[in-house]
Formats: sequence, C-alpha cells, structure tokens
Amino acid sequence: MVEIVVIGAGPAGVSAAVTAAQAGARVTLIEEYARPGGQYYKQPAESLHARKLPHSLDDNLHHGRELLAGLRHPNIELRCNTLVWNITPDRVLHLYGPGGASRLQAQKVIIASGAYERVVPFPGWTLPGVTTVGAAQLLLKGQGLLVGQKILIAGTGPLLQLAAVQLFDAGAEIAAIVELHSRMEFFSHAAKLFGQWAKIGQGLENQKRLAEGGAPIKFGYAIVRAFGETQVEEGVIVKVDSEGRPVPGSEESLAVDAVCINFGFVPATELTRLAGCEQRFDPNFRSFATATNPECETSVRGVFAVGEVRGIGGVEAALLEGRIAGAAAAQQLGYRADGHDVHKEWQKARAAVEALGAMFAVKPGLFAAMPDDVVVCRCEEVTAGALRDAARAGAHHLNSLKAWNRCGMGRCQGRICGPVAAQIVAAEARVSVEAAGMFTTRIPIKPVPLSVVGAVEEARPAGAAMEDHVGYGKAMVR
Amino acid sequence: MTAQRIKGIERETPVTITVNGQPVQAYAGESVAAALLVAGWRAFRRAEATGSLRGFFCGMGMCFDCLVTVDGVAVRGCMTEVREGCVVTVDC
Repeated sequence: MVEIVVIGAGPAGVSAAVTAAQAGARVTLIEEYARPGGQYYKQPAESLHARKLPHSLDDNLHHGRELLAGLRHPNIELRCNTLVWNITPDRVLHLYGPGGASRLQAQKVIIASGAYERVVPFPGWTLPGVTTVGAAQLLLKGQGLLVGQKILIAGTGPLLQLAAVQLFDAGAEIAAIVELHSRMEFFSHAAKLFGQWAKIGQGLENQKRLAEGGAPIKFGYAIVRAFGETQVEEGVIVKVDSEGRPVPGSEESLAVDAVCINFGFVPATELTRLAGCEQRFDPNFRSFATATNPECETSVRGVFAVGEVRGIGGVEAALLEGRIAGAAAAQQLGYRADGHDVHKEWQKARAAVEALGAMFAVKPGLFAAMPDDVVVCRCEEVTAGALRDAARAGAHHLNSLKAWNRCGMGRCQGRICGPVAAQIVAAEARVSVEAAGMFTTRIPIKPVPLSVVGAVEEARPAGAAMEDHVGYGKAMVR
Repeated sequence: MTAQRIKGIERETPVTITVNGQPVQAYAGESVAAALLVAGWRAFRRAEATGSLRGFFCGMGMCFDCLVTVDGVAVRGCMTEVREGCVVTVDC
C-alpha cells in the first residue's frame, strides 16, 4: 500500500507532495500531462529557450521552477502521462499510464485536480480558431506559439487583461479585450479590493500596457457571434446592459484570426465526487466545490482536497492548502510535520480571490439572451433551444437533461457544457443554479481504451486487449 | 492566417513527423496540436452529429475536440508530444 498519493502536479499538488515528503512520508504524485506544473506553472517544452519568452512571463516561470525543484526529494515518485480515471471511497485508484492499466491502494489521498475554464457559448464558438484564454496562454508558455496574429479576447475577469499583455508582448495584435462588466462596475468592484494593493497595482499596470499597445478594452461588451468558413475570421461584439443582455444596434464587427474566451473557472470535482466527498455550492463562483475542514480533509476520512477543487482560490491559496494538507496527511501517518501553521495567510489569500469571483460573475442575461440555435454541448451538439424545451417539459436537473437530449454525455462528459446548461435550465425553469445541480460523474472520468477498463476485472484473460476505445472513434460505446 | 511560433525564440532538437502523408517539421517536447497549428492545420476533425469542423479548443485535455490519430491510436493532440517519425492522421 502506498502511503500518500497526490493527484495533480499543479501548484497545490506539488506543494502537498513536497510538504509530506519533507515530513518523511513516501509520496506518489500522479500527473495526467507529460510534465509537472499544472496549467498555472506550465513549463516550456525542452526544445525552447525559455529566456526568450516574453518578459511578462518571467515571474511565473521563475516561481514555477522554484516550486518544481522540490520534486527532486527522494521520497517523491512522480508519475506523468498518467490519468486517474477512477477512485473509490476506500482510496483505491485506477490508473492509465505509459505502462497501461494499473491500480493503487493509498493510505491517504490528496486530490489537487484543479479547475476548468468557464465559457459562455455563442453562434460560431465551435469554429477552429476559437479557444479558451487558458489554451492560448498554454500555447504561449508551453510551446512558444501564438494562437493567432490578431486576437479577440472576450469574457470577464482580470485574466483577460493579463493574457492580453502576454500575447501582445509575444507579438500578437490584440483586436480588443471584451469585458462583460462596465467600466463603472469594474472600478466600483476595485473598491472592494481595499487593502489588496498588489492586485490593484497589477491590474492598473496591465491596463496601462494595453493602452500603450493600442489594444482597446471594451467594458460592458460581450462577444455574440463568430464567423468563418473553415476557421474564425470575424468576431461580432455588442454592448450589454447590466444584466448581460445585448443592446440592439450596438454591434461591432472585428476581423480576427483567433478568438479567446474565459468567464472564470469551475472546480474539477469529478474525482472528489467519485470518492464520495461532500460538495458545497460556492456562491462567489456559482459552482460546486469540494467541502473540507480547515485541514483540507474532505467528508471522506483520509481523502484531502486542495487548490481550486475545493473552491476557486488562486495560486497563493493553492500553495498554502498544499502545505496544510501535506502536513495533515503525514501527521495522520505518524510523521512530524512543521511549518504548516499558515491559516491566517491562507484566509487572506482566499478572501481576495473570492472577492474577485463575486465581482466578475457571469450575468444571467447572457444565458437568457442566448439564441436557441447555439450549440451548448459541443460533443453531442445539443442546442440551447433543446435544453429549454427539456426544461419546459420538466427536466429541472442536469441529470434529467441527459436522458432528454444527451447533453453532457459526450467525451468531455459535461465538463464544458455542465455549468452553461445549469444556467439555461435555471433561467427557463425558474430554479436556482444550485438546484439545477451537476451531471453525475461516471467512470472512466475521461475516455480510456476498453482494455484498461477490462484490466480491472482480474478474471479477464491476459492479452485480451481490445483496439476500440471507450468514447473514442465513430463507434462510441454508450 | 494561423498560429505561428514566436519569432526570435531559438529551438533545439528538430523532429520530423508525418501528417496525412506529408512531412512536417516540429521540435522535441512540442505537442502534436502545436505542430499541426504551425503547419497550417486549424481544423483537426469533424464533429460526429453535424460534421462541423473542430480544432484546438481547451488546450488542457478536457474537451477532446483536438482528437487526432497518432500511430494508429486516437489521442488528444494537446496532451501528446511529438516523437521523431510519428505518423499523424487528421480526419477532415
């Protein structure tokens, strides 16, 4: 039996693994991607000379390298390219990695599965060239690549301006930054950040850089359409009212070759839910997150949750939670751990980001005004109109929607459409977003070869691997 | 217009991959999606229900829009690194 398994090698997971290892525990750190760092501390591909990346990335790259250096501890076994596709409440993990299928029994599990980007669909958002803002940042940081030459950035929150500065520094033209909140809302929000001078300073610095670079920030606007033949060529933006509804006659069209969208983040709770951990509705970010006690232990004894999965909290909180949970898990195993008395700093870090979340909320009018023909579920191509039909006919919970029209049943398993569908159902059925709920998590949490699922059954004859994949290819297993 | 490598960044260890029968230059550690994007592929496949074109979207392995075939196996382009001589099939 493994002592501690940490799932996810982003800031929270690495911090937890290093803390537990330093206390003396033996740690297995599992990462789905080829290298550690997570999305926030994504490391450049080894063929890149990182020092030539834009200087606006310097701090991020430097802090990431410092954190990841801790993984050289002899008590840490890092397993990359490995997906945890199932976890049971008694801490059995099913893995799919370079060696094929395997399972692990852990004494303690620390889940640091991170978050996904929240999107708001519009006609044309499935066109190649429309990506998330995070995807453009990952291309930039990890691959030294610009997603396009003339980029429209749309959504809400401080990430838009930060990403715009980075892309601009790397040589892209920023067609516009389209911020849902009006200038007045933006600055009245800033007052709520009283005392967070570093954050305010960073925001002002970003705005100054963008103004110098001729990148217009359109406050109180939203993207409503993307056009293009085989890839995006044009984005249409429109002024919105305080509820997020388009103001007729205010459309502007911009010629672009990339559109990047982000409306904040949603915790990636598949694994904590499979493990049976209690979830809570986070009112600041209007999404479900994994509930924990102050030691970051979930309702399931021996299973911890750290970082964005227990509520969007930003990198500082994630690093501190990693220390708290890493120490707590090691202590439960009888090791002595010091230096994790950071609850005060932790509360402060979380409070700042939670305030940002409350400020940059998605607005209900965006969903109410979404045309019926917009594809909401990208995988199964279910439209907003189909979701409304189902809601009117009585599907008031996401799980009922599945039965109605297959929304959320494709390869992404509702990771992208779930939060959107909840808003549409809530608006149509006049229930709360919380009541609309979440899609029940099914295994495997991401598609894996059938042979991997088959390997779980010990009775299965050796060498009976199948070529087909669960969820892959045209013959999908349903 | 499409994605491109940032100018002025030196890169080491070129590798050659094959995309739909054509040789494509990439670099060690690059993702298949990155290599495809700079080679001019924006669309990687078609969605099953309507045939609409799909490409690189989430960049972090959650959406499965960037599925391509590498050496006969369906994989996410954004999560798979290029290897010298690997054979990539883009289905659209």
